[in-house]
Amino acid sequence: MRSWMELRELLKKVVLLGDGGVGKTSLIARYVVNKFDDKYIATIGTKVSRKDIQLIKPDLIVNLRMMIWDVLGQKEYSKIRTASLSGAQGVILVGDLSRMETVQSLEDFWLKEVQAVVGRVPTVIVGNKVDLAAKDSMAATVLDSMGQKLGYPTFLASAKTGDNVEPIFRALGEMMVSDLVPVQIKGPEKQLQTLADVVDFIIHDFCAQYGDLEKAMLIIQHQFEEAGVDIRKPQKESVLEALEGLAKAEELSLTKTVAMVNLEERQKLVVLAKG
Amino acid sequence: MEPDIKIETLVVLSVVVFITLAVTTFVIPYEDQQTKLFFVGLAAVLASINVAGFFMIWRSSPTIIDEIFLMTPTGMLLKHYTRRLRPDQDEDILAGMLTAVQTFVKESFDESGGRLKEIKFENYDIVISHSKSVVIAAIISTKKPEKLRSQLKLVTEDIEAKFGDKLKHWGGDKHELGDVDILMKRLLGGKYRRN
Repeated sequence: MRSWMELRELLKKVVLLGDGGVGKTSLIARYVVNKFDDKYIATIGTKVSRKDIQLIKPDLIVNLRMMIWDVLGQKEYSKIRTASLSGAQGVILVGDLSRMETVQSLEDFWLKEVQAVVGRVPTVIVGNKVDLAAKDSMAATVLDSMGQKLGYPTFLASAKTGDNVEPIFRALGEMMVSDLVPVQIKGPEKQLQTLADVVDFIIHDFCAQYGDLEKAMLIIQHQFEEAGVDIRKPQKESVLEALEGLAKAEELSLTKTVAMVNLEERQKLVVLAKG
Repeated sequence: MEPDIKIETLVVLSVVVFITLAVTTFVIPYEDQQTKLFFVGLAAVLASINVAGFFMIWRSSPTIIDEIFLMTPTGMLLKHYTRRLRPDQDEDILAGMLTAVQTFVKESFDESGGRLKEIKFENYDIVISHSKSVVIAAIISTKKPEKLRSQLKLVTEDIEAKFGDKLKHWGGDKHELGDVDILMKRLLGGKYRRN
């Protein structure tokens, strides 16, 4: 029997750094939630966007919200940059593979800035514009050896094609939660008594794992209607049928393994529930 | 519902009452000068009481807070409270940008290490209070930021005292700040006092 998985929701500050024109803003643009125009970077020196990812660890699901601070790349604006870096729990260093000097300055300038303000924090090094430079180019080789020397993962990516961008966030996310362990692993079996309690728990659990409350509620509503679940007086048969539908939705939004674990556990709760 | 009385309304009401009393006093044909002076004096006293009364009502009415952002000084949103649902608003991003704007103003205009305490925009006032580990930004539209400032300072100090140590090593889990809601709801009620 698999153990119940604990769900944690975490917020982390990530700062995106690198010389001006290396493509920091373009690199993440399609992959994050943007609510403010890019012009804010030029006007106030910073723009904040967010990226939500879900990480699966043994007995633990982490919904990680990364607040990404895109900071002006011009080296002169040190005060604003230092203030923006303050409290950073993760860093993405970006260099332009078609401009060797921007790769070199990652170690010579940006990394020193990071270490002076926040010390050693989870960091990934990215060589952008891989579509313009060969993967075995001098800049790519320098970037790779820099990563090995410093112990940071490196990625060759392209903002233009989107190649290898998503893995950057995932790798950084994994690093930021690497020390996280489940606080308490306990199933709700002991607290849940009636079928109504169980249904309530399942709704809450599904929404929390799905992440987007509004969409999650629409899926639940649809699946409950399809299975004929009367929320005021639920019947085990109809709830079990609805669980199959919820599991299919989770296969798409989470992973097949997580969906299976959730389905098994929820089925067990329904079967054991009174009423 | 809490009263929200604007000072302009009070002034208009007071003037109307005063004019009514004045017209009544001067239009009525009095038998002698003493009686007339008595009624003029009475009208003046009543008008003064009227103005003072309205002013006291205005002073005692609470400042209505539309939104509160409880943040770390590094721009991470700890809690958000609002009276309005804004589907397009992303409060985490907004908290970050609000901090970025504060940083920009501080670094651009202040060499002595001061902090941005208020932003005015159209009908809105954003009143900001800082402590070592906490920043609270309250958005109000009732034009009485001076009443809010002292309460905001108190609640910031109380949160700092209660959660400051925890926030120094905060790992990003918002649930760790469980009963901060109790303090914030008192502030949202408009009458935060130290027990």
